[in-house]
Amino acid sequence: MNEQNPVPPQIPPRIPPAATPGDACRLGDDPAERAAIPNIVAAIDAILRHPRRVMFQLRQPDAGRLIAMMLLVSVLCSLIYGVVVGTFSGGTQLWIAPAKIAAGLLISALICLPSLYIFTCLSGSQARLIEVCGLLAGLLMLMTILLIGFAPVAWIFSQSTESVAWMGTLHLIFWFIATIFGLRFLEAGFSHSNARSHAGFHTWIIIFLLVAVQMTTALRPILGTADTFLPREKQFFVSHWGDCLKATDKEMKSKSRE
Amino acid sequence: MHTKSVKPKTHPAEIATLLRGDVETISAWSESWSARRFALHVAVIVLGAGLYGAAMGWWRDPQQALFTAVKFPLIILLTTAGNAILNAMLAPLLDLNIPFRQSCSAILMSFTVAAAILGAFSPVMAFMIWNAPPMSPQAVSGATYSFIKLTNVAVIAFAGSTGNVRLFQTLARLGGSRAVAFRVLLAWLAGNLFLGSQLSWILRPFIGSPSLPVEFFRAAALHGNFYENVFHSLMQILTSD
Repeated sequence: MNEQNPVPPQIPPRIPPAATPGDACRLGDDPAERAAIPNIVAAIDAILRHPRRVMFQLRQPDAGRLIAMMLLVSVLCSLIYGVVVGTFSGGTQLWIAPAKIAAGLLISALICLPSLYIFTCLSGSQARLIEVCGLLAGLLMLMTILLIGFAPVAWIFSQSTESVAWMGTLHLIFWFIATIFGLRFLEAGFSHSNARSHAGFHTWIIIFLLVAVQMTTALRPILGTADTFLPREKQFFVSHWGDCLKATDKEMKSKSRE
Repeated sequence: MHTKSVKPKTHPAEIATLLRGDVETISAWSESWSARRFALHVAVIVLGAGLYGAAMGWWRDPQQALFTAVKFPLIILLTTAGNAILNAMLAPLLDLNIPFRQSCSAILMSFTVAAAILGAFSPVMAFMIWNAPPMSPQAVSGATYSFIKLTNVAVIAFAGSTGNVRLFQTLARLGGSRAVAFRVLLAWLAGNLFLGSQLSWILRPFIGSPSLPVEFFRAAALHGNFYENVFHSLMQILTSD
């Protein structure tokens, strides 16, 4: 008997080869990403509309110039936002607040840069130190540009309230939103560097947030006024914030009694 | 035709290769001796662990910072040197047939990774200490001291674990077996922890106490040992009513 099977053998469908993360969307595949970033305006435009262009340029030999531009924009934007913060108290705070905000941001980034580089290496990423510096500068630039966007809202509120705690909370919320977008840029850049895991990067985000938040306490007062440029008493952020809230609560109670 | 072999130059960026855990390259490094690479690794240990030690001791006093900056790398280097012969003998006994130079080099590389991590965290630690209230008997019994202590434990544990993970990966590559690598790592760890604990005991204090003077060695540095102290503490707990 030579019976043939009427049902044709099942041929499994061909599975397309797994695309490696870098293959489909490798940096520089799109010619627009390879366009140079000649000036500050182009840098701002690129980080907002084509962040991959910034990431690609950071891998080029002349990345130093772009990093310098991004840092310059970060300093300028943080100084402008600082003036808005200073309008809450006026007087000397109009120059103290911008100076403290710009210095605080740069120092926070500088403190966290070595650990970011170490976590980048530990995750197997091939990013060079200059690229990591550039991504961090990109984070600062995006963050401070967004803060400029929030500045008019912050200014209106600062003119209509006397509560330091309230204004502090508002600025912290704005800063937090801006930081989230900055960190998204940094993470996108990180994922293009062949990193095996993002666990170290996520740990670093916590360190960066803690350092930046603590910096606001270390350089206080940024919103209110004081006799000295820097505080005499050392405090951690949580206890300082607790004191601020208690003081506001007391103030509100005494006002309601009056 | 005679071809001249070009020796690759040692570069500080090699530390990134160590951190990434590029086992092929790291294994190749451990197979050939390079005085420059050895010097680079020792320099990273001195600088990385030294900076972290300085940040740690700074809370007590700038002089304590200097002392701890010297003591921290000293513990690492003395532990490596003190156990070098024992570790080299243990490796072949546990089925990892590598020469003395290679075992020393592998251990030194793992400590280099740990020291680089410590060095990278030293600005964060320094910033934390700068924000802490001055060290006083009240501060030592408060939440700040506990927080700083726990942060130190977390950072040192992370650095040490990462160094050992990289060492395990290198050993697995050299021995061709994860089981052998695990055995050797455990044996080396036991020896290094045993000696390292005693060296830390002798070289105490690292942070310092506000009620005691700043000094490189305590007067009773060589009286008793770490394990005797742990034993006494345990006995006190067990015999107290």
